[in-house]
Amino acid sequence: MPSIITTQGLTKIYPRGIKAVDNVSFEVEEGEIYGFLGPNGAGKTTTILMLITLLKPTNGKATVCGFDILKEQSKVRESIGYVSQDIAVDENLTGRENLLLQGRFYHLPKDVLEKRIEEVLQMVDLTDRADHLVATYSGGMRKRLDIAEGLIHRPKILFVDEPTLGLDIQTRHKIWEYIQRLRKEANMTIFLTTHYMDEADALCDRISIIDYGQIKVVGKPNDLKSQIGGDVITLKFTKATNILAEEAIESIRKMTFVENIISTKDSYNIIARNGETTIPKIFEAVSRVGASIESISMKRPTLDEVFLAYTGRALREEEGSREELMSERIRLRRARI
Amino acid sequence: MSIAFDTLNICWRELKRFIRQPARVIMSVVQPIIWLSLMGNMFQMVGKLPGFPTMSYLDYMAPGIVIMTTLFGGVYGGLSVVWDRRLGFLNKMLAAPISRSSIPVGKMLASTIQSGLQASIILSVALLMGVRCTTGILGVIVIILIAMILCLTLSGISLALGAMIKTHETLMVIMNFLTMPLMFTSSALFPLEFMPSWLATIAKWNPLTYTIDPIRALMTKGWDWAIILPGMASVAIFALAVTSVATFLFKRSIA
Repeated sequence: MPSIITTQGLTKIYPRGIKAVDNVSFEVEEGEIYGFLGPNGAGKTTTILMLITLLKPTNGKATVCGFDILKEQSKVRESIGYVSQDIAVDENLTGRENLLLQGRFYHLPKDVLEKRIEEVLQMVDLTDRADHLVATYSGGMRKRLDIAEGLIHRPKILFVDEPTLGLDIQTRHKIWEYIQRLRKEANMTIFLTTHYMDEADALCDRISIIDYGQIKVVGKPNDLKSQIGGDVITLKFTKATNILAEEAIESIRKMTFVENIISTKDSYNIIARNGETTIPKIFEAVSRVGASIESISMKRPTLDEVFLAYTGRALREEEGSREELMSERIRLRRARI
Repeated sequence: MSIAFDTLNICWRELKRFIRQPARVIMSVVQPIIWLSLMGNMFQMVGKLPGFPTMSYLDYMAPGIVIMTTLFGGVYGGLSVVWDRRLGFLNKMLAAPISRSSIPVGKMLASTIQSGLQASIILSVALLMGVRCTTGILGVIVIILIAMILCLTLSGISLALGAMIKTHETLMVIMNFLTMPLMFTSSALFPLEFMPSWLATIAKWNPLTYTIDPIRALMTKGWDWAIILPGMASVAIFALAVTSVATFLFKRSIA
């Protein structure tokens, strides 16, 4: 499969010295759903903005559909669609008018545009509400309209920044369905960013885990999970015996099935090939040194564990509330200006 | 001609938004009418002063009110850019293969059309209130045109500021800071001859005076080309300069 996006050493340093994207190189193949997975502020949006020509990289090169993002900007713009995380639809226009406006931005002839509008409206199930003002739409409907706008000119690549940010679970699943259908029916390449593990797992053919502006690992979600190489046992000691923890961990580390131990703020993640038989041995080791366990749990590896393994921290802790997210975005936007 | 097409498309959006906000349309017309009837009557006696250029004060201030409405309406060009940036709509437009200049120019064009509409309504009301236009319907059309060119200038200034200022509160404060003094140091409400000499000097340099004088000439004196032509020329040149600067600053802000 030929690469439709390539980047080499892409770097963005904002004027105030914030290194948002740090020497990032990757390739996206034609027809795949490629995801950037990482916490807020990891550099996902900045990468997209550079690829869609809205932001100049400080260093590095990239091509999109074979066009250089610096030298052939209008060619890049013509071949891509962009759905931002802002849900940028105009409330004072109807759904149809929004699509009309967008189609004219891409200079579609009138008769083609009329057909396309019907087509994309149907695709996102908004035909009945097309002539209502967007001000009357729910959040999910707005997002669907926004995605429809990104499709109006049938781009080769669709860039979707946080497709389900702030949407309820049902709507999220709907949006996932639309994205999967798009790839199947239109054979479109989709580049998306997300900080939701389940989203990356459910949607993406391949993902890059990105943290502090750097790509930590690239691969198929399933491969990444099996690379972790076993079950993850999370062990938490009682506060009183925390001092004895190190000693216990040392003896656990020597066990045959244990592959790796990662310590987090208040617990240990033990990666073991044979979780069920390892747990009783852990109990023995802990009681031998006189420590006691507050809680223990075992999980088959998910992308959470992959993330933890490659970045040394859990993504969950970074999620935060919508308010935190907004303020993070405002902070980054200020930095971008 | 993709730039013309893009400009019209952006202008279309702004006008659609304008008519979808009826309160904005109504208020932009009601407010000047209140000014006209309130101040026109309040300062009625001023018109009786010896040497006052017109028969009644209402005749004198009607052109001033037309300009004032244009002045206050012109700020929306910049505001809409600030909002579009905040809502992510600006990025959406920029991600599309449209001409970069078409965004500021389209927005300015929309403000200009809106101000033409407002000026027509205010002039109609003024005429109903008994103000006479000596140059007739043709004169009224020229007046509306001048008001529109002035609005192009003001929305250009507001857009140039909007390209640099990222919050709408700041932009509003700065625009008010500019428009109010501009208004009161011009010949909009008071003839230069009646001002203290220092104020008259400021008023003489106030670009607004150049716009109001030809309008007033058209309404009260007739086709006095010696006033109308230089006035229109300076307003047009000013508008052109501001439009270019605004477009330049806008393009720089998104680069």
